[in-house]
Amino acid sequence: MTVSAISRPGERDRLIVKLGQIDWTLCLLLTAITGIGAVMLYSIAGASWSPWAARHLILYGVCFVVMIVLATVDLRVWFALAYPIYGVALLMLLAVAVVGHSTMGAQRWLDIGPIRIQPSEIIKVGLVLALARFYHALPADRAKWSWWLLIPAVLIGFPAALVAHQPDLGTAVLIAATGGLMMVLSGLSLRVVGVALAFVAVAVPLAAKFLLKPYQNARLFTFLNPEADRSGAGYHIIQSEIALGSGGLLGKGLGLGTQSQLNFLPEKSTDFIFSSMAEELGFLGCATVLLLYGAVIFVTLRTAAIAYSHFGRLAASGVTITFALCVLINGAMVMGLAPVVGVPMPLLSFGGTVMITMMAGFALVLSVRVHRYSEVTRG
Amino acid sequence: MDSALFLDEVNERQGLFQRRAFLFGGLAGAGLVALGGRLIQLQLVEAGRYQLLSEHNQFQFVLSPPPRGLILDRNGIVLASNRPDFRLLLAKDETTDVDAILARLAQLVPLDAAHLRRLKDEIEDAPRKAPVAIVEDMTWEEFSGVNVRAPELPGVTADVGEVRVYPFSGAFAHVVGYVAKVSGKDISKTGPNADPILLNPGFRIGKQGVEKAFDLDLRGKAGAKKVEVDVKGRVVSQDSRGDIPPTPGAPIRLTLDADIQNRALEVFGDDSGAAVMMDCRSGDVLCMLSAPSFDANQFVKGLTGPEYRALAEYDRKPLFNKALTANYPPGSTFKTMVALAALERGFDPARVYVCNRVWNWGGRPWHCDKAHGALDLKGAIAHSCDIYFYQTALLLGPDHIAEVARKFGLGEIHDIGIPGQKPGLVPDIAYKRRAFPRDPVWHAGETPNLGIGQGYLSVNALQLCVMASRLANGVTALKPRLVHSIGDIVQPSGVEAPALPFAREHIDFIRSAMGAVVEFGTASLYAQLNLGPIKMAGKTGTAQSHNYTGPTQGAHGAHGAWALRDHAWFIAYAPADAPRYAMSVLVEHGGFGAEASAPKAAQIMRVALLKDPEIRARIEQPAPA
Repeated sequence: MTVSAISRPGERDRLIVKLGQIDWTLCLLLTAITGIGAVMLYSIAGASWSPWAARHLILYGVCFVVMIVLATVDLRVWFALAYPIYGVALLMLLAVAVVGHSTMGAQRWLDIGPIRIQPSEIIKVGLVLALARFYHALPADRAKWSWWLLIPAVLIGFPAALVAHQPDLGTAVLIAATGGLMMVLSGLSLRVVGVALAFVAVAVPLAAKFLLKPYQNARLFTFLNPEADRSGAGYHIIQSEIALGSGGLLGKGLGLGTQSQLNFLPEKSTDFIFSSMAEELGFLGCATVLLLYGAVIFVTLRTAAIAYSHFGRLAASGVTITFALCVLINGAMVMGLAPVVGVPMPLLSFGGTVMITMMAGFALVLSVRVHRYSEVTRG
Repeated sequence: MDSALFLDEVNERQGLFQRRAFLFGGLAGAGLVALGGRLIQLQLVEAGRYQLLSEHNQFQFVLSPPPRGLILDRNGIVLASNRPDFRLLLAKDETTDVDAILARLAQLVPLDAAHLRRLKDEIEDAPRKAPVAIVEDMTWEEFSGVNVRAPELPGVTADVGEVRVYPFSGAFAHVVGYVAKVSGKDISKTGPNADPILLNPGFRIGKQGVEKAFDLDLRGKAGAKKVEVDVKGRVVSQDSRGDIPPTPGAPIRLTLDADIQNRALEVFGDDSGAAVMMDCRSGDVLCMLSAPSFDANQFVKGLTGPEYRALAEYDRKPLFNKALTANYPPGSTFKTMVALAALERGFDPARVYVCNRVWNWGGRPWHCDKAHGALDLKGAIAHSCDIYFYQTALLLGPDHIAEVARKFGLGEIHDIGIPGQKPGLVPDIAYKRRAFPRDPVWHAGETPNLGIGQGYLSVNALQLCVMASRLANGVTALKPRLVHSIGDIVQPSGVEAPALPFAREHIDFIRSAMGAVVEFGTASLYAQLNLGPIKMAGKTGTAQSHNYTGPTQGAHGAHGAWALRDHAWFIAYAPADAPRYAMSVLVEHGGFGAEASAPKAAQIMRVALLKDPEIRARIEQPAPA
């Protein structure tokens, strides 16, 4: 297919053409990461497809098909639905705050019929869409520093506060950071960014002292000194570091990771899947996966860079930011560089809603790429 | 919102975005590189350290208790051994619902309420990491039944341990002792570095007798099994290459003879007392019985409160080793010592005193059993005349008597390896000065009582047996030996002892007098062996247990309330002409020594003599024409 052919009016709206425009590199990268995740889930279940590996792959397959379908949805539809999606997600967050289902002391789930939804995940995509929609219509000088910025501040702050209240500090921080970085990418004054960073540096220790729940505080201090509480809160970090370190260069081999197979590693299928992998596949496996993640970030950022519409740029970059932050926070956490917060490793960790939102995000990225020449109208 | 965005502004917006997106990409990349750096640090630089930590997590060494050393008699007959014990262990953590598990368990194995209460206490007291043996000694049916239902009993594991067993339950209970569960006190007593095997479930340590005294030798050294465990400490697999085999405890061979000991227990029946027999050539203790006895196996299992009280409160005191701790005046058996002291001081054995049943001296009457008439020294020993010895003792004074008595092992703790001996007392002038600050003078009126083995004097059955064996040996101050060997290490023989510093003819005189005791004297009716030419020699003794006057009037002889009667002693050796075995018998509140103790001594002595091939040969050969 030639450039001339694709530049014919209406040609780009043909489904077959759209499918050809899909970024199959990204699809391959995502599938590779998910595949490694499935292998690990199979291994740590004691060479068993249940309870994790099979469901992980099936869910990915379904999500993949939906992603491809959504990738062909015109960017203008995404644009039109940006605020409604954000609104629904926010309402669900409010509903969780009122009637949410409690697991492990935190209200995070909403049961709708047979489906169990985690609204804090949906708001991630909703926020990216809403901010992209908002900034699309905002002139650059106003995006730099103006009263208009109160609107994105509320768009970010309200859901972040609700999630923090659940309490799910990790996701709240992730939402706030994603929103903040999108504001920066949209042109926020760097001077303001500097002031904001300075404010955070002062406010976080204070908040830790007065606002955090005891277990959140414990996690924070345990991160600073895990040896102080070996069998208590420091246990997660120490066991994770042992799993990582004992993997060495080549790993102990699939199914032979004693830390994960004997359950010394906590949350081995979800938050600490990276540690399980590090133990069994070693440094080479870890480096490979980190490279894959880096490649995903590169590919999605490139998509953002080549999009014609500001909405497309911001939407794709927002998804990238969410994804990159997840990877970095989880990686830092399992390596003992950050406090233990419940942020999963995208596509590697087992967990339904996370997979769905991530794939929805990538559907958005794919759609931006497919429709990169489209000028989204404002209206 | 303004609909006319100028192109340059759009371009400006795009340019700014791309710069910042590029910056973000760089930062994200830097973040990934930082993670990679941390991975290099953990997985490549410090990998060795973490691999070690991982192995510490994965593997644990589980102690494997060593089999406890056997305890054998002199001929290798087993007095204490081990048998397999099917038992259940409970490994508790904070989630264990002890009540629910015990309730479920009670449906599978018989557990009464008292047992359940004690178990709950034990489980509560146990250190957190140590599993507790909750049911022991199950039948195979119960054991397999519980095994099948294991999933309903979280934390409960079935296992086969070893438990001590005493085949002769009672006969050796005081000498061999027993093992019982380790108490918190046992652990704190051993200091800060207590052997971790003490915490092993169901482990038992020696609490009495040989089991206690040689506990460390018998215990052996624990081995270890290398096992792979999961995070809850459950054993996933075993790595037999990592096993360190346990070192079994050393066997301990005693000098006791099971046949003699068992016969002694039979002979005592319900009577309370002690019997000790020694080989008077070697000093080996062949028999050391305390009666009545108890079943040591009960202590291994653990006694309930009422069971223990029944034993502790029984007035014949089965829990005491009376051979070592029942110290009483030796009574007339002591006349042998007085006579020897007299002979050593130049006393003429032909000297005659006349006994009229009462002898007035020092302003008061002194009594004898009956009017013996005129007696020389030999006759006075044979008929046990008190009046003769009142006067002999007065000639000697306490110090000369005490000196001889001490040479024969009285008032002394004999090192036979097991604890709990009472030294008793041989009084002299210095003793009186030391012990009675308000009346530090030995009064002449105290000497006659010493002459007939009463007063301050106090001895136990072991000491009297040592005395008898030294008389019978005549040359060496034999030492008693109870432990023949520990493992391969043979203990020093009792013959390696100083010589008796007495003239041989004086000892021979005492021996011939002891022969006369059995031949025609006080024991002639009671101490016959009925073994043809083999005769016994001996001396009777009656120890006053209460004053015959006063509110609790003691009973002289075998009359009156049991607890008020006199104690009966008998010392003996046989054969009378060429002594091989010496013994002492105590029957508490037995009345006259001759009547209560001498027949027992004869019965026990017969077993020893009949087992001895030299003596058998003498009995079986036709009497010379």
